[in-house]
Amino acid sequence: MRGCFRRILAVAQNTFLEAVRQKVFAVLLIFALVLLGGASYFAEFSFQEQFKFLKDLSYAAISLTGLLVGLLGAAQLIPGEIERRTILTALCRPLRRWEFIAGKFLGLAGLLAGMVGIMALTVWGLLGWKGLQLMGGEGADSAAIWSEAMDPRLIQAGLLIGVKLVVVAAIAVFFSTVATSTTFVIAMTLMVYLIGHLQSVAREQWLETGEAAHGVVRLFLAAVSFLVPDFNLYNLIDEIVAGNMVAWHSTLGVVGYSVVYVIILLAASAVVFEGRDI
Amino acid sequence: MTAAVRTRGLRKEFAMGWFRGRVLAVEALEMEVKPGEVFGLLGPNGSGKSTAMKMILGLLRPTSGEAEVCGYRAGTMAARRQIGFLPENPYFPNFLSGAELIRYYGKLSGMGGASLERRIRELLDLVRLGGEAGHRRLRTYSKGMLQRAGLAGALVGDPEILMLDEPTAGVDPAGSREIRDLILELKQRGKTVLFSSHLLEQVEDVADRVIILHRGQKLREGRLDELLTRKNEWEIKVEGLPENDRKEMRAWIEKRGARVVGEGAPRERLEDYFLRSLPEEKRR
Repeated sequence: MRGCFRRILAVAQNTFLEAVRQKVFAVLLIFALVLLGGASYFAEFSFQEQFKFLKDLSYAAISLTGLLVGLLGAAQLIPGEIERRTILTALCRPLRRWEFIAGKFLGLAGLLAGMVGIMALTVWGLLGWKGLQLMGGEGADSAAIWSEAMDPRLIQAGLLIGVKLVVVAAIAVFFSTVATSTTFVIAMTLMVYLIGHLQSVAREQWLETGEAAHGVVRLFLAAVSFLVPDFNLYNLIDEIVAGNMVAWHSTLGVVGYSVVYVIILLAASAVVFEGRDI
Repeated sequence: MTAAVRTRGLRKEFAMGWFRGRVLAVEALEMEVKPGEVFGLLGPNGSGKSTAMKMILGLLRPTSGEAEVCGYRAGTMAARRQIGFLPENPYFPNFLSGAELIRYYGKLSGMGGASLERRIRELLDLVRLGGEAGHRRLRTYSKGMLQRAGLAGALVGDPEILMLDEPTAGVDPAGSREIRDLILELKQRGKTVLFSSHLLEQVEDVADRVIILHRGQKLREGRLDELLTRKNEWEIKVEGLPENDRKEMRAWIEKRGARVVGEGAPRERLEDYFLRSLPEEKRR
């Protein structure tokens, strides 16, 4: 068992190292610069509006940057290794194929967690800096400004963005075990991502139409309801950023749902990849 | 004695895609490599050498037939523990350094800690990538250096069998000689080496036995000296015999009903001449 963990960790470390050495973290710098630029505008609004704008912009930027890195990273993971044929020298070793998949996924998940973590800390730092600026103004309500700037609910939002990206990465890993083309993996993952935002509509249709709907339609709706993760669940992020209260148990519920989906997707990836000729 | 590698009726067909049929890559391959032997898989490009190797490594699943490594079914963890593999081209993660590459492969082979670090130093010295070279990124290496780094990576788990796919393809004569010397050194250490090549003159120096493949089928198999020796001819190399005596010798031969089929001053191989022409430090 120790050997198994050691091998998975070796693949994960290597995946993470590859991303770092290919300057993925340079994206973070661009992100920080965009934020700093954005933060200097809209100074004529009230402090609540300024914070809301800053949080909206920041979390949208974290989601988008993370989605791009996760999607491109995951799509490259296996097709990229097959294309460069570096996979041959890894899989000819006493390494099980599922261990390879798990290591690759963990490396990417680590990268996404690191990126989201650093970006979220940058946002916090920026909010703090903005808060201090506003507190220095004439007649400022320092306590209200500071509580708005250092809102602990942003940790919940960061966590939800992280798990959402990890689910997207797991979907891309699944498609990368069946495909040889990076473009196919990205297209399929984006398709599932978009359908995932409509999943709740499909589920409601399936539950409501009952026997009235055509057999094929019912089957399609059922398949979408069961197979595609419901990405609307992550809309809690918008609630948090808008300043609404979201209970921790709801957040942890979404995290649990994501973990189950990731496990199912990785298990399916391992089964598919096991039978594949390299 | 258990064979190092054995295949029985090994066959591989590749599907070419919908409605495009299948292509046969290897057909009913029977092969047995003995422990401690240097065994060559020869054949032109597309003859099935790499496909056969990949099936032995467990990277490809045979359409039918079976392969065994040290008595274990090919592709199982036990079988893969016995093998170190060097692919045809330097397919290595080029963002790593030579030492990091060996460390990565060592960890994949279940190694770690001080013993792995010791092994990395030993191997870098063995393939002459010690010092600064071992800590440079692979993308800065020459083809020969990459092959040597890959060889060190293949040896990290101290495997019983080394499988080398076209190890000297694209390598200059000095690098090629180094790889041959390493193969012979590994043989001295009791390792089994199975390699593929289409560069026949290079195989001659190292292989004990060979199989010749063509379009996936085995054409010939045997020990090199058996395959290459012309049993009805005899060759004598003579030094300092004047022309008159040579004439007399030819007459003596013909008088006994034999025929002189070839004669002349022996030629050195171009590779040896090339290597001899290089300065001493470039030869190694």
